[in-house]
Amino acid sequence: MSTNGTEMVKDAIYQACLNLDEKKWDDWLNQCDDKFQYSVTAFSPEIGKDMKYLGLNHNELKEYFGLLPKHNTDHSPLRRHATVYSVDVDDNGKTAEAVTSFLITQEMFDGVNAPLDTGENHLFVVGKYHDKFNIDNGQAVFTKREARIHTRRLDKGSHWVF
Amino acid sequence: MPARNQEQWEKKPDLKLGEWVDSRIYSDEEIFEDELRNIWKKAWIPLMHESELPEPFDFRTAIIAREPVIVVRGPDNKIRAFLNVCPHRGMAVDRRPAGSFLTGEPSGNAKHMTCMFHGWQFDMNGNCVEIPRENAGYQGRVTKEGQGLRRLRCETKYGGIVWVCLDDKVDCDVEGWTGGCLDCIKDSLDEEPLEIFHYHKAIIDCNYKLWHDTNSEFYHDYMHYHNRITGFDDGYFARKCAAFDNGHVNVGTFTVNYGEYEVADDRGDLTFPHLPPNNWYMVDMFPGVNINLRGSAVRMDLMTPLSANKVMIEFRGLGLKSDTQETRERRIHHHNTIWGPFGRNLHEDLVGIAGQGVTMMPNSEPRRILQGRHEGLYIHDEVGMRHFYETWGKWMDRLPSDPSKKYEPGLVVGPEMPPAKGISSFPGKVAAE
Repeated sequence: MSTNGTEMVKDAIYQACLNLDEKKWDDWLNQCDDKFQYSVTAFSPEIGKDMKYLGLNHNELKEYFGLLPKHNTDHSPLRRHATVYSVDVDDNGKTAEAVTSFLITQEMFDGVNAPLDTGENHLFVVGKYHDKFNIDNGQAVFTKREARIHTRRLDKGSHWVF
Repeated sequence: MPARNQEQWEKKPDLKLGEWVDSRIYSDEEIFEDELRNIWKKAWIPLMHESELPEPFDFRTAIIAREPVIVVRGPDNKIRAFLNVCPHRGMAVDRRPAGSFLTGEPSGNAKHMTCMFHGWQFDMNGNCVEIPRENAGYQGRVTKEGQGLRRLRCETKYGGIVWVCLDDKVDCDVEGWTGGCLDCIKDSLDEEPLEIFHYHKAIIDCNYKLWHDTNSEFYHDYMHYHNRITGFDDGYFARKCAAFDNGHVNVGTFTVNYGEYEVADDRGDLTFPHLPPNNWYMVDMFPGVNINLRGSAVRMDLMTPLSANKVMIEFRGLGLKSDTQETRERRIHHHNTIWGPFGRNLHEDLVGIAGQGVTMMPNSEPRRILQGRHEGLYIHDEVGMRHFYETWGKWMDRLPSDPSKKYEPGLVVGPEMPPAKGISSFPGKVAAE
């Protein structure tokens, strides 16, 4: 485990990627503060506006994940390739902000034409995480994540968060 | 019945004409080209919302039936549409999805549309105002006066929706085109200015009509856990479909029990003007438009057919321009938890049509697609699709159940019903037949 705030933040972000890649929703939520706020945002040059595609707090995310089995969905796995670009730890070492660039690929499974495209990977979403953390007990805990995406052609979309 | 053999499988269904269609209408390239020519180039298309070009000299580009369109707001605040084609060499006059002509471009001046290729410039009325070295090259044979852009019929109507028609000879305006199908939500849309807050698009490998079918029938609500849990009560099953001229359909309202879905919250206090709390109207317009007023937000889908088995669907979300930031955030939340790209229902619907696209690829075996549910025009009656395809058959002069044959009158649609001129069914007030 890291003792350095910057490294703690990086560890948290990369661990979150692993948890989300594996759809370990509870494990990811355990990395988040009870007051965690999550959003997917984008700027649309088409309409000249900032948009919020999804906005949920910790409890809503938990309910959202809990309802997934009741919904039909595209089960094609999403996987993140992330690079932490910057980490700013405040002077007292208690909070931090980070910017992480990510690409999300989709491994086709049952979304379109399984006999043909199963196993194919394609780029699904491009964006940056803008994360905020509390640092306590040697751990960086997510208090906010804005997944700001540059993709607006989202085709079928997804029930899975980034 | 046991699984069918080939002969049984290929047999025509024991249903009347109009109660099924042949899947070739979803996959045949020749039919698709006929559709562009006979339908899409003759229909009024609600291309965008006026708030997408809020200031004078703002513009937005679009496509109808492969034709590039540019919509601009002039200095007189009037919205006009033109083919986005330079009359010189056919270059797109502007290549961006949207922007402002207040700033000059490398090839041209501010407040002009400029074709970057050779610097021909046009004002916001589409007049040609600059041809570089006009006299030196053309000696009066080609002049600015004769080189305006191709103007298109354009109206801003029903809550600020911008409608464009490619064909000058179509003998109706937008109001005539709608045939009354929007009357049920007209007051709600027109009470005060609306504003767009959401845009994204999907390109799906399927025919555009499959998306329109999905929007036109509610039987697929069984696919949506959200809808089963928030609807499926007496009010839901009392919703009635109404058919209108030109192939349009609307579906009456009922009260959605949003509180039954854990992540949803009641939206009664933000319901649009003139609509009972948490009520929901849906209007499906021929040939590929859906306007959906669900309580606190408007969703508008516009289909742009790209090929026989490829469609672009643009999704827009609209609220009231007067919204406070807090109110707008709630509307956006309501809209996106169901209809956003990461919402509950939209994803399921799109997975559904993608699966249909797989079974109806070009040159695949013709199949019979059923639309024969009759439930007294109530919510799971498939009259919406039958009405659409009756109109489609007339416009295409093809029989939907055998598109190699000419259209013939008498397709089963549904019982004669008066078009709904207002609210057709308040929640639970219409007794089931």
